[in-house]
Amino acid sequence: MKLLTHNLLSSHVRGVGTRGFPLRLQATEVRINPVEFNPDFVARMIPKVEWAALVQAADTLNLAEVPKEPTEGYEHDETFLRKMHHVLLEVDVLEGTLQCPESGRLFPISRGIPNMLLNDEETET
Amino acid sequence: MGSRRMRMLESALAMVEYTSGKVFFTASSDLASMKKLKSAERLFLLIKKQLPIAVPSLSRGKILNEIQRLVNDDPGSWLKAILLWKELLECDAKREKVSQRDTNPLKRKVGENEIIIAKKLKVEEIQMVEESHREGQRDRQPKYYLEQGDAITKTEELQEQGSQNDLVKAADTENLEDLTFRVSCRCSGNIGKAFTTQEVGRVVGTALMKKFGWRADLRNPHLEIFMHLSDAYSVVGIPLFRVPLASRTYIQTAGLRSTIAWAMASIAEIKAGALVLDPMCGLGTILVEAAEEWPDVYYMGADVSDSQLLGACDNLKAAGLVDKINLLQVSVTELPLPSQSVDVIISDIPFGKKFKLGKDIKSILQEMGRVLRVGGAMVLLLSEDHHRHLRDCGGSSILLTSRDNITDPEVKMLLSPDKKTGPSDTASPSHKASSSRCPSTVLPCGWLVPLECFKVSLGKTDAFICKYKKAHASGLSPAGGLEPGPQPETATLQESPGLQDSS
Repeated sequence: MKLLTHNLLSSHVRGVGTRGFPLRLQATEVRINPVEFNPDFVARMIPKVEWAALVQAADTLNLAEVPKEPTEGYEHDETFLRKMHHVLLEVDVLEGTLQCPESGRLFPISRGIPNMLLNDEETET
Repeated sequence: MGSRRMRMLESALAMVEYTSGKVFFTASSDLASMKKLKSAERLFLLIKKQLPIAVPSLSRGKILNEIQRLVNDDPGSWLKAILLWKELLECDAKREKVSQRDTNPLKRKVGENEIIIAKKLKVEEIQMVEESHREGQRDRQPKYYLEQGDAITKTEELQEQGSQNDLVKAADTENLEDLTFRVSCRCSGNIGKAFTTQEVGRVVGTALMKKFGWRADLRNPHLEIFMHLSDAYSVVGIPLFRVPLASRTYIQTAGLRSTIAWAMASIAEIKAGALVLDPMCGLGTILVEAAEEWPDVYYMGADVSDSQLLGACDNLKAAGLVDKINLLQVSVTELPLPSQSVDVIISDIPFGKKFKLGKDIKSILQEMGRVLRVGGAMVLLLSEDHHRHLRDCGGSSILLTSRDNITDPEVKMLLSPDKKTGPSDTASPSHKASSSRCPSTVLPCGWLVPLECFKVSLGKTDAFICKYKKAHASGLSPAGGLEPGPQPETATLQESPGLQDSS
């Protein structure tokens, strides 16, 4: 699971609403995958990023050099874009858990795939 | 669909003609580029195409005679095609072994041969050879044709075992006389009523044996010959790939057939930097096709099933797309994504009794509509039943209700129902009207407006590719104004004629 994916996921346990974001990340196995750097693509992802959530997740994974916010004129700042590229796309959580901040429900991540299936009681009608 | 959206990579496409389920064209490309054709099923090297046999006006004997003439009248065209076929395969084999930087080894190879021969001649003569070589190039442009859909009969399917390597080995036969062949015939229209494919096959096979001295081999021939006799044409060709083009090299296990998957992706308006979701991705076929063609995109695939996701993982690994496609184990009715977070949704809605009509479809569409951003496109593959159900009840556009009590503060552009995105209209807010139509606990968060609908053949069944766009709720009033228009016409694309060739 890439950090860009984590940045989009929120818990949908019944009654949680918007308080299900961001999910608390805990990783037992992480892999760094080299991914081809595409500055245009990264620049387009930046506006979609929820920064607080990203920084928090990066912290739990002890990643260094994570920008806390977009710099002015980031579209042309290669250093910045390369750092974001690394954080968003090259860090892959293979095993771990995601926790709903409101309900405490744990969702497992295995083989890089987060499992967020809810059982019937947990889903909203 | 295929003929309109056919793309040729690195080749000069000339003389395109499409007739009754086949697309005929000339090109000077190599096999590698041909393999990249996305929306067609099978590719053939054309031996012969001519006017149909005028079955009603001829006796049985005369018709068989006409069939024989396809072989006997112009043996040169057969030999030319077969030599070309051998060259194509040899070039492709060489290309596989050595990394080629040149995009058209075929042209180069032919040129080289001629020049080598010319070395024995004097300078002036060499120039003449080069001259005629260049002229000959134009005539020598191979002619091909593509076929769509289910032209495959049971026997043809069985024949499709074996790997691409077999075809290459076949091309190694030094002597054309040692060639073994197998003829597959398809007869439709009037001729199909008069003869069985076996009868026609026998006639053609015998004629070939007599004319060229080749042996028939039904199990593992060097050369496959496909013949299609219909009311529109008589076409003979050599299949260029043992496995249909629709069977992608980059997909391990296909779920949905790749041509349909590619077609869906191509009408979804995928742009660079988009977030694309397939919320019922199964083996990931649609996402793989999309990612191959539009790589600068963040793809997400979701499914509930462990086994499907494992299969999808395999497919991603085989295609080298693990970096581009991100998998989630979630339910489409409970997507753990924020509202309006996804730019494009593409999905194959499961057919069959397993998926109940009514409640399930509605809740799926609600959830998908929720995560789709306003202005985003959604392309679905629907069974006939689902399509009819959606069309009949609930009217044309689908009102999306939201579980979160969130209203979008802006009044955004409303997409006009006649398929064009017009300029921004500041719609007159009529919140009162819209909220009074809804249950008190929820507020509307948008509309899914149907834009286009294409009927496609999946072989035994038909299905519909339906495209929707998400429009904003405010400004919509049931009493005229900006109400989405009537259901758009369902278009039937110029597609395969299906199992019955009614041309």
